[in-house]
This record gives sequence, C-alpha cells and structure tokens, in this order.
Amino acid sequence: MKPVYFDHAATTPVDPRVFEAMTPFFCERFGNPSEPHRLGREARSAVDQARARVAALLGAGENEIVFTAGGTEADNLALFGSLARLQPGHLVVSAVEHPAVMEAARALNGRGWDVDYVPVDGDGVVDREAYRAAFRDDTRLVSVMTANNVVGTVQPVAELARIAHQKGALFHTDAVQAVGSLPVDVDELGVDMLSLSGHKLHGPKGVGALYVRRGTRLQPLLHGGGQERRLRSGTENVPGIVGLGVAMTLACEAMPEVRPRLERLRDRLVAGVLARVPEVTLLGHPTDRLPGNAAFAVRYVEGESLLLRLDARGFTVSSGSACAAGSDEPSPVVQALGVRPEDAHGSLRVSLGRENTEEEVDAFLDALPPIVDELRRMSPLYAKR
Amino acid sequence: MKSTQYSEKTLEHFRNPRNVGTLEGEDVAVGRVGNPVCGDMMDIYIRVGDDDTIRDIKFQTFGCGSAVATSSMITELVRGMKLDEALKVSRGDVADALDGLPPIKMHCSNLAADALHEAIKNWRAGVGPEDAKKQPGGAACHPIPAEVAEVEIENLDAYEGKGLYKRLDDLAELADERVVVLDTGDAAAQLAMDLTDHTGRVVLMTSGKEPSVSPAVRSALRLSDVKVLAEAQPLELLGEGELERIRVHDLNEDEEYELTADAFVVLE
Repeated sequence: MKPVYFDHAATTPVDPRVFEAMTPFFCERFGNPSEPHRLGREARSAVDQARARVAALLGAGENEIVFTAGGTEADNLALFGSLARLQPGHLVVSAVEHPAVMEAARALNGRGWDVDYVPVDGDGVVDREAYRAAFRDDTRLVSVMTANNVVGTVQPVAELARIAHQKGALFHTDAVQAVGSLPVDVDELGVDMLSLSGHKLHGPKGVGALYVRRGTRLQPLLHGGGQERRLRSGTENVPGIVGLGVAMTLACEAMPEVRPRLERLRDRLVAGVLARVPEVTLLGHPTDRLPGNAAFAVRYVEGESLLLRLDARGFTVSSGSACAAGSDEPSPVVQALGVRPEDAHGSLRVSLGRENTEEEVDAFLDALPPIVDELRRMSPLYAKR
Repeated sequence: MKSTQYSEKTLEHFRNPRNVGTLEGEDVAVGRVGNPVCGDMMDIYIRVGDDDTIRDIKFQTFGCGSAVATSSMITELVRGMKLDEALKVSRGDVADALDGLPPIKMHCSNLAADALHEAIKNWRAGVGPEDAKKQPGGAACHPIPAEVAEVEIENLDAYEGKGLYKRLDDLAELADERVVVLDTGDAAAQLAMDLTDHTGRVVLMTSGKEPSVSPAVRSALRLSDVKVLAEAQPLELLGEGELERIRVHDLNEDEEYELTADAFVVLE
C-alpha cells in the first residue's frame, strides 16, 4: 500500500493546481510589484487578485488583508502590532493557544504586560466563567484560536468576541487550522483580527495573512519600503501570495463536498480506534471539532514510539509526547484538558485531509491495534497496572 | 531543529528490539529507573551466574524510540560480561554502539546504563525484584536517577565557610558576588531570585533541562534576573583556600568546564 499521510494539521501537500498557478511567477513574471513597468504591474495585479480572493472568502474588505510570511508572523503582528503602541496593560489568551500566540504573550509579559491564560474544560472549550472573570479595566486584547491544532476543538469565537467587545477589548483569533476546513466569516465571528496560513490548506509554506478590521490601529513589526499598507514592509512573496489565493479558493469551493466526507472518515476512524484498542480516550470535543482531526490518549505507550512504529508501516501521524516534540514536557494543550502527564505522553494525533480515503482509514484501523499491543507488552507500566 | 534524527542502527533496534521481557528466579535482579510522568521508565532484569557474569538479560521499557533502542542495545552489549565490567558500560558507550543519539536524547532517553547499574547494585545488595520495582519517586523529571540528582561533590565540605553555603541568613553577605545556587527545588529558586536584589550575578544550576520547581516559581524565574544554567552537574569545587571555580559536567554535550564563582549555595 502507498504511504498514507495523516498529518494535515502539521502541513498539507501543495495542490498541483496551486503549484501550476504559482510557477510563472518564479522565472517569467518575476517583477517587483512596487515597480511601475509592465513586469511590476503584472506582479501587482496578481497580488491584488489574490488579496481580493482572500478578502472575499473571509467576508472582508480588500484593504483589510495583510499578507505575511505565515501564521506565526500574522499572530505576532496581531499581538505586538496592536499592543506595542500602548502603555502596558492586560492581555487575555486561552490556555491552549498555538506557541505563536503563547510565546508572543510571554514576550509581552516580559515587557510589562499582565497575561491571563484562561483554562479550558475537559473537551478543550474555553471556560466561559473563567473567561468573563479574567477581564480587567485595562484589558486591551483577547486572543483565542478558532480551532485547536492539537485536539481539534472549535471555540465559540463569536460569543467570546462579543464579550471582549462589551468589555472594551480587541479580539484576535488564530484561525490557521480552521480556514479552508470550516466556513470562516469575519463578520459572523465579529473578530478584529484573524490569522491564517497557506500551507495548512494545500497552499505553499512561507505565506499567510492577517485580517485587520478597518479602524484597528497596528504598528508594523518590520520597517522598510512600506508594502502592505505600511504594515508589512518587504518585497511581496508574489508566487506565495498567488498560491495562497488559489489554494484558499479551491479549499472553500470544495468545502461543501470535502467537509462532510472528512467528518464521516474522522468519525469512522474515531469509532474504530475506540472499539479496537482498549484504554484509549478521544481528546477534544466529541462533535465541535475540526472535520479532519482525531486525537487520542493511548495509555501505557509513549507517543513517539507509536509514531515511529506507525511510520515504519507507512502511516504518517503526529504525537504530543515530550519526546516527539523534543521538549521536556508532553503537550501543554493535552495537559490543559486535564489529562495526566503520564497519559499525555501517549497522545496521538491523526489529521485527515481531502486526499484521504476510506481504504486508508480502514488500513490504519487494522495496523494500529497490533502496534499498540506490541508496545504495551514491552511496557513495564502495562504489566503492573 | 529539535527533531529526532535517529541513526539507522537506533531505528533498527527500535523496530526489532532484542531481549524484551522479564526474568524470574532466585538468581535474578532488577533495576528500575525513570518515571512515567516524564515519559520514560525502564526495568532491566539480569540473571547472574556463579562466576559473577550476566547469564541472561531482559528489559521492559515505556518510552520513546531511543529509550527502547538503548535498552535493546545494552542487553546485547553486556550479556556474558562480568558484573564489574558491566558497571563500566556508560550511557556514552550505549549511544556510541547505536552510532550516536540526537543531542536532545542523550540526557532524557538514555537510561539503559543507569538501569543496568541499578540492577547490579540491587543484586549485590540482595534487593529482590519486587522491592527494586518500587517507584524511585522524585517529582522532577530530568535529573533522572535519584542518586545523580543528589550532590556528590567529594570535596564539598572542605569549602564550608570558604564560599560554600548550606544556609544563608543574611543575603547582603553576598552583595556583588558571583553566586551559584544549586537547584534543589522551589526554596533554592526563590533564594536565587531574592539574591538578585543584592548582586547582579546569580546563576541557578540544574542538572535538568529546567529547574525542578513548581509552575508558579518557574514563570517568576523566567521574568527574574537569575540566569538558569541547565543540564549542568557540579563535580568539584576549586580554589586556593577560598572557592574560586566550580568544575561542571555539561550533560548535554557531555563535556566538562569550569565556572567562576565566589559562592556556591547548596540548601540542605
């Protein structure tokens, strides 16, 4: 059987149609969009077209889109850009944010900002009561992700944004995992800023965007030639931006067909794993989750071992174990759900994408139980349980 | 990149681990190291012959790829060895036999030699398998076996009153000195932070990747002026009469170096 890629939350293959659309902008239509000559105008019009596509798909205006070098830069621009111009005050983020938000918040903390990390419940949903209680008179910004990259839980962003606005704070959401998988409309969500990334939706790496609601004042991270309405200096990554525009268009066009199909595949995979492997827990919300995300805690085995064994059998998956992440502690997101650290080490994330099939899911369901069994027979914890 | 670049040999041992299992009998001893909370735990079983050789060896391991591979490799390395020889087999030998381990794994998932040494120690002390498998405990994850975490500096006491402090009543005593505080938990970290009011040169030395402190202290520490020196194990105090330097083992690079210090604080 061909290798099976089940790690779409990490990154996705570039769609050949996206690649084709990008190709001319490397060697032939390579102009600098800031130049008034023909080559420059061609490049400018390609960037403008991509911007119009991205804006339309988010329900935003064209001048509300800032292209960046990816999701991490978009998150940093949102947090630092909106806060750096203010006197230090208070910032609220959820306990399950992506490191791009988490570490930016920590860095702001080092510059005098107070940060509150709002806990989540066992399904990974932000605790509403703790969220409301976190606000202070000087709360300037809230950042809560649209959907979680590790356990897939979708947050009630519209409700959280409404509360933030009542309290006079701006609201940013990292929608890197959601855009292209779920309908995302900036007005329905009511957010002031929203980050997205190209390579999570079958576009290229190294390109992303930040939606910035008209009237929201930001300071740039990068100073220079004043591109992107002065918010992101540097010659535009024209092929990347073109690729992002096409990739997002294709993902959103295909969503009515892909989303229910992925949800069926995901539910088949979850039900199969829970039925065939004992002592496994589904992580994240049972229904309010990304269409392709299935995350588990597999007791008595260590996640990197599981990942490597599955890899040897041709299945590419991910784990939040400390070893797999090259860190000291297992996934902080999994632990935020209340999973014990020894069980969090056995976390397994399967993230499906539009090219996956039912045959692949079934092959995975056949491959997993003997691998878990073998690792458990090797584990001193399993014997003594 | 923090990724896991394993050698082919490591992967091969991981995929086909040798000598998985347990042993039973009067002539069997077990060494257990690690802690499931940290993501690594292993048991090494040895059967010892009358001639003091390892007649048989098995392992059980909960852990990542390198934890499994090092367990498997050590069973091959020491089978048939005299116990004294086997005690000389180090973490470095195991890593070398696997054609090296990624740096991040050298410290955290390379416990097999420790487990073997523990088994031999238990055999010699007459500790039975059931007693040996009682959890070593220990809340902090990465100073691994308890005895490594404990200070084993031979000449420690010789410097008492000459730069070594086991308690500190007046912090101002160390004003503007170069102070190294050994990580022994929250109290040590708190003391280190308090010392920054008196001197700008405070180092908190830990054998782990991070100090073994509670989350609240950890975040306070991050914001403080205390410099954390991670994966560092003090070996020896040096200096004519007064403390001048500390010889330190860098556990990540497996190298030794000397650190200049006027005061070394090891809270009791």
